[in-house]
Amino acid sequence: MNYSNSNYITVFEQWEDQKKFFCFTEKDAENLQKLHTISAQSCDEVVESLYDHLLQFEDVRIFLSNPEMIKRLKESQKQYFLEMTAGDYGEAYYEKRINIGITHKRLGIPPRLYMGAYSYYVQLMLPKIYNHVDFDQKQAQELFLTFFKIINLDQELAISAYVHAVESVVMQQAEEIIAMSTPIMQIWDGIVVAPVIGTLDGQRTQQFMEQLLNQIVETKSTIALIDITGVPQIDTATAQHLIDTINAVRLLGSNVIITGIRPIIAQTLVHLGINLKEIITKPSMGAGLKVALDMLSIKTS
Amino acid sequence: MFLKTLSVVKIKNVLLVTVPDDPSDKMVYELQEQVLRSLEKHRSTGVILDISLVNVMDSFFARTIAETTQMVSLMSGMTVVAGMQPNVAITATELGLTLGTAFSALDVDQAFEILNKALS
Amino acid sequence: MLVDKLTAQGATGLSITSESDIVACRKVIRDLTTQLGFGMTDVTRIVTSVSELARNVYVHAKVGEMRWNSMRSPGKIGIEIIFEDKGPGIADINQALEPGFSTAKSMGMGLPGVKKLMDELEIVSVDGKGTLVKVKKWAKVK
Repeated sequence: MNYSNSNYITVFEQWEDQKKFFCFTEKDAENLQKLHTISAQSCDEVVESLYDHLLQFEDVRIFLSNPEMIKRLKESQKQYFLEMTAGDYGEAYYEKRINIGITHKRLGIPPRLYMGAYSYYVQLMLPKIYNHVDFDQKQAQELFLTFFKIINLDQELAISAYVHAVESVVMQQAEEIIAMSTPIMQIWDGIVVAPVIGTLDGQRTQQFMEQLLNQIVETKSTIALIDITGVPQIDTATAQHLIDTINAVRLLGSNVIITGIRPIIAQTLVHLGINLKEIITKPSMGAGLKVALDMLSIKTS
Repeated sequence: MFLKTLSVVKIKNVLLVTVPDDPSDKMVYELQEQVLRSLEKHRSTGVILDISLVNVMDSFFARTIAETTQMVSLMSGMTVVAGMQPNVAITATELGLTLGTAFSALDVDQAFEILNKALS
Repeated sequence: MLVDKLTAQGATGLSITSESDIVACRKVIRDLTTQLGFGMTDVTRIVTSVSELARNVYVHAKVGEMRWNSMRSPGKIGIEIIFEDKGPGIADINQALEPGFSTAKSMGMGLPGVKKLMDELEIVSVDGKGTLVKVKKWAKVK
């Protein structure tokens, strides 16, 4: 239900907003096209020079040791450089930039390295723009400012993509931890047990609900024991999710027994006005299991 | 899986109704009609609605099941809804839907068990 | 699949003129959201919402249409579905969003339920002129 959407990767509508935020106008797009001839002429020189510069550094040489790879990178670097002044800053531009950022992360290249490249672009382009015969001082200033804007936008996209990629890894790990902390298992023919440990937030309850229901259907269990001894606190939203889970389990045709409601949880539930009247609750998992076995008419000595 | 129409089968004193995966409103109306008519004809005491193929249940469908259950009950029958898919159950719960007084069962076998216990 | 056929024809909309169109709406959106990469439970949530909203159009206005837009960016997918009709309109939108309120013979769970199942719900309605309902759902993808 509530996905905490990543704020780092924008959707296309927001990309348009982002351009506005950076004061990037149609005029800037036109300006950049005026620079395209310069870019095209100096493209080879700029990229060669950039790599000469970068390869002075030991840590860069570690990443760029393979000549074949360097050749390939130079080619894509040229493409990248030319696109900056190609005049199209729509969806395709945005997507390419984001994907480049994600690729950098995947290759393990730290942002420090490519951030340096942007600075180098600016350094190289400044004299070329100012010394160009076609532009007077005022024009050159305007064009350079525009170039600076697209550099800024590109940097923002690269960083956003990087942060997003890092975030995905963190989220994936978080999901794995979540999955690990709610093991759902069949402990008897017809009985599944789900001990919940840790705070139950929206996303986690969501996942828990799906796993529990699927497990119930798979094992054809008519009783689900949910033990919440390990839940330190509960809020309105979580309590509601818990009630939703219980109702969903009942719709399937299974029964829920809640065990291990601690004093603080009992207090919160009552204060929140949550009605657990029709739900079987037991103090411990053992007591819950006994009830479950009784319900299934399984004799224990 | 390619069931396109409603199937109503009489097994002893139970009516087994199988609902296709994406029932139209018309079919949902028909379900109520057929169940009640068959119930009268066969003097059945139990109805099993097998909805294990159904992949969407909205408020109209849920209301019809709840109403049908009530009507069956007025005609002294008992209704068990069997095999609801987990996704459907989650969505129905979030939507705030209930099946009224209908019983639920994980599958048709368990539905028969519930009916046998209740009707014996 | 129906959605492929429609997309091939350049269509991003479906008219609602009969009861059977409710099923068609559900089918198109099921195919589309599955193709986009939504999880099974989200697909069910979206399709259920579509069912409620398409039926609202049919019951209250008799005629209307459903349009859709899908969105995909790295790590994230989204769908926007719009229902528009020239029916009687909703007199009191806030009331219509209260659980338990119903003009037709339903459970009164339609609109408030849809609000819970989707991420965004927007209603524009002019009394006597018609109604536009826009819903959106997002999901993270790997």
